[in-house]
Amino acid sequence: MARLAQKGIEVYLPKGWEGRIFQHADVHGVQSNPVAQFATFPIPATTADFGGGATPSMRPDDIFVVLFEYGQESLGKALFARQGMPRDLTPDHFHTYTLKRGIGGHSGTQWFFTEQRRPWALYAVLGSHARRHTLVPKVNLLLKQVTLLPKTAAG
Amino acid sequence: MLALVVVLLVVVVLLGVVVTGLLRSHADIIRALHTLGVGVGDPAGEAEAPATPAPVPVNIGPPLPSERSASSAPDIEGVSPDGDALAVSMAASPQTLLAFLSSGCSTCALFWSALSQPQQLRLLPGGVRVVVVTKGPEWESPNAVAAKVPADVTVVMSSQAWTDYEVPGSPYFALVDGARGIRVGEGVANQWAQIADLVERARGDERPPTAGHTTSVRARSLGLNGAERESRNDEELMAAGIFPGDPSLYPQRLDDVFAATEHLARPPVEEHLARPPVEEHLARRSAETVDNSERH
Repeated sequence: MARLAQKGIEVYLPKGWEGRIFQHADVHGVQSNPVAQFATFPIPATTADFGGGATPSMRPDDIFVVLFEYGQESLGKALFARQGMPRDLTPDHFHTYTLKRGIGGHSGTQWFFTEQRRPWALYAVLGSHARRHTLVPKVNLLLKQVTLLPKTAAG
Repeated sequence: MLALVVVLLVVVVLLGVVVTGLLRSHADIIRALHTLGVGVGDPAGEAEAPATPAPVPVNIGPPLPSERSASSAPDIEGVSPDGDALAVSMAASPQTLLAFLSSGCSTCALFWSALSQPQQLRLLPGGVRVVVVTKGPEWESPNAVAAKVPADVTVVMSSQAWTDYEVPGSPYFALVDGARGIRVGEGVANQWAQIADLVERARGDERPPTAGHTTSVRARSLGLNGAERESRNDEELMAAGIFPGDPSLYPQRLDDVFAATEHLARPPVEEHLARPPVEEHLARRSAETVDNSERH
């Protein structure tokens, strides 16, 4: 089981998953925040934060998951009121209209939450909405392997 | 006169001491060489000599493909040249071509250049993902690697991957079958076209065996070699009722092959006698020889 750990995000990837954790360089003094991407297909090196450039080529059995951290100024905002990352999603949580860019057959889910005093967005895309009953358990298997550490530990 | 004799005596004695010392030193060297198994003669006499010279193991680098018994293809963990944490799954793609390159090796320069040229990458069969693997930042300069690699190519810096795949040196290439999680081809090359050929041949080996295929090709397509292959052969023979000592294993003539297995369905003799043409057989042998020489 491959282990990824950086920027206060630690994950033991289930078999068949690959991933990367990165942080953009600061632009004009504006600090960027960590992003983690996980997929059951090859993630192109040029993939945008929320999957642009990668999700259009997803096959029906593919899954793409993003954990995107927001700045500390978002802490305490109503959008991030939920405490803790959802780790037990159901097929009903996925909708064809919950996508950054609508792609035929795909469906997605998006959650905003706070964990370890860090505001996050979780965004997951399924390659086939029709196969959500098979694919969602795989998403949960991944999410259960994710540990988010406090900001001090993240450095 | 007396003084001259005394001086000569002293010189002779001193020379004697020097010669004795040299002989003693020479004997020590011969004895040491003999202990290591490379001696000539036996200064200690037959009684003290070991029955057989002690083997001296000499290990230079990791084992070459033919010396290994595994074809496993573990996932790769490492960092990108930008320092991002990265994990590449072999199961994520039907076939992954791992290119083990170094920023400093002159032969690798050709491949770094090819990675930037779409027409070169198009030589590869469709559906093959290319992942460049360099040693980790403790051995490689991330800046040097970043300067060589195009933005759209996945590069993992991981010394562990070099150990896992027992890479003998750079450049080195391994083709991984994602569904089965095994290496189906690996070797060295000095041109990108040779890599495309390696991939094509490995894919050819994956096709179902036909009358022209040998069992060695089938074993390779199963990712078997060495002890694994021998074990599988034993299992198949025993499953067919052929056990150690079976006369069919030591045939004197064609009928001996079938004598002990009469209970098995015997196809017409003509079918058994069907052989690939000699030219085809020789060509295949030649190709295998070239393949092996390329690996070494």
